Amino acid sequence: MRASGIFDKTYQKDIAIVRSWQHWMLLLGTIAFLFTIPLFASYYFINLLSNIFVTVIVVLGLQIVTGYAGQISFGQPAFMAVGAFCSAVLTLKFGFSFWLALPLSGIAAGVVGIIGGAPSLRIKGFYLAMATIAIFYVTMWVITHLKITGLAQGLSPPPPKIGNFVFDTDERMYYIIMIATLILTFFARNLVRSRMGRIFVAIRDNDLAAEVMGINLYYYKLLAFFISCFYAGIAGSLLGHWYMLVNAEQFTLLHALTYIGMIIIGGLGSIPGAYFGVIFLKLLDELMLFSSPFLVDMFPWLGMGSAASLSLMAFGLVLILFLIYEPRGLARRWEIFKTSYRLYPFRYGEQ
Amino acid sequence: MTDFLQFSVIGLLTGGLYSLIGVTIVIVFKASKVVSIAHGQLLAFGALFFWIFMVGLGYPLWLSFLLTLILASLMGFFIERFTMRPLIGQPLFSSFLMTFALFIFLDGAFQLYLAGQTRAYPHFLPQGQWDFGGVIVPKGQVVNFLISFFLFLILALSFKHTRVGLKMRATAEDHRLAQSAGVSVRNIFTYVWIISAILASISGIAMATVTDIHYPLPYFGIKGLIVALFGGMESIGGALLAGLILGLLENISAGYLDPILGGGIKDVAAYVMLLLILLIKPYGLFGLARIERL
Repeated sequence: MRASGIFDKTYQKDIAIVRSWQHWMLLLGTIAFLFTIPLFASYYFINLLSNIFVTVIVVLGLQIVTGYAGQISFGQPAFMAVGAFCSAVLTLKFGFSFWLALPLSGIAAGVVGIIGGAPSLRIKGFYLAMATIAIFYVTMWVITHLKITGLAQGLSPPPPKIGNFVFDTDERMYYIIMIATLILTFFARNLVRSRMGRIFVAIRDNDLAAEVMGINLYYYKLLAFFISCFYAGIAGSLLGHWYMLVNAEQFTLLHALTYIGMIIIGGLGSIPGAYFGVIFLKLLDELMLFSSPFLVDMFPWLGMGSAASLSLMAFGLVLILFLIYEPRGLARRWEIFKTSYRLYPFRYGEQ
Repeated sequence: MTDFLQFSVIGLLTGGLYSLIGVTIVIVFKASKVVSIAHGQLLAFGALFFWIFMVGLGYPLWLSFLLTLILASLMGFFIERFTMRPLIGQPLFSSFLMTFALFIFLDGAFQLYLAGQTRAYPHFLPQGQWDFGGVIVPKGQVVNFLISFFLFLILALSFKHTRVGLKMRATAEDHRLAQSAGVSVRNIFTYVWIISAILASISGIAMATVTDIHYPLPYFGIKGLIVALFGGMESIGGALLAGLILGLLENISAGYLDPILGGGIKDVAAYVMLLLILLIKPYGLFGLARIERL
């Protein structure tokens, strides 16, 4: 819904993502803000932001395969692990530079993802969900039992560097993560409104009908898995080089459930939804982390070290409430807000 | 040969428990077409409640068992009433997601209570073992197996021969037809959740006598899902057979391959089997193949 008086006079304007100068200002302002954050923000805040951005990359991938193409995947952490271990092995054992290992680990995760997505050709819905859980466990088992990936201890990949400049602090790593997120977001935003994105939506809404209309289901389902796992691989690689540590404990089934929860809360089938979901849940986590000492003071029977379980409970509760009251997530609330803001004195924009 | 027999016996005994977990998921699916991940938590909480009553509060065995069953059925009732019922009329997939939201919520509660520790029952099942020419059969597990087999039998018979069982079968067949014949489909959903919560908690107690109550206990629910998928989501008998096969396969492959490949085969074998089933026979051994139309 456009505000009154704004028309698209040219084709270029019609297909533009960024439409008005206010929009441009907002976008550039946000990017400039993101670049200047490390100048004044605290160490804690930068860490949180990097964490959010890495998760956003994974969730964007999941949004493409689940939100747009409709193929539910619980395997995302396993593909992250593939990316993380691949990039660690490439930099440590083969002496590749990080800048080459990053895209390669994305591609490696994507290829594993194609194998992982193969069951989607025959089954769908929760059958596919179970198959991806199985793939998750099998992949993680293979990773923890190979010599080259350091068995159960994992590996410690070196930080990335350009010339003599080493990205070994959280502030420096933040820039790499943030720029990667921006690029991947831009790619995802464009992908879902291209021909390919529309095909994904057609497959999600009714795959038989899509096939009848001449869409090659096999190709596009596997492509969706490839793209989503590419994202996961990139995120895994970034995570590994940021923490300078990769092991299997960082990639559990609970993470997979969390990512699915994030896209439900954010809104299935929406790129801003991925951001909303991740930010909402990460902030909820932080809130629980801060409030748990008070909660423990009030209810001593909770015991120390309950923050993680409490935030898990809060997450489950929020997810239940969202599924009952707003199954289309925060993205829909955001759309409603935008429409009513643009049409302000009038009310008929609300759906 | 002794090795093989030993692995198979333990596998079969564990498999009996798997079938019981599987069937709790199957009956919910049969009635309401909802696939539940949350049963792993029902199982874990059953074990936990029993521990709280018996060890924490020191009640006698029969009383704590009874109280556990009451709490478990309350859990089943609340889950159906407050999380499943509001979703009636929405796509089935959101019910599936709801069960996994429940899983996360209950997982938090479970971890909160356990706080990283392991809780063990005092020995209330017969201890010791029989020795058949080198093949060792632990008595406690035999009791577990017999109990789960007995429950299985009761369940199957009550489905066949009681009025509620008939209503449940009618509901499984067709919701609208059942409703027009005077079956209250809503009540049936509630009954089904309560029954499956009770069965899940019993299987949880039985499981915990073998493994103790520790963190990964809820993930046995996923084993139950594998069993349900393997046997066919609609088939109670299929769940029995699939549970036994899964137990056998897990233990035999773990017994022979673990020394070679270095551990963890038990879980992977189950998942590899699941993948193969889903690829070869997606609707399980006795499930109904669904025909899709535009």
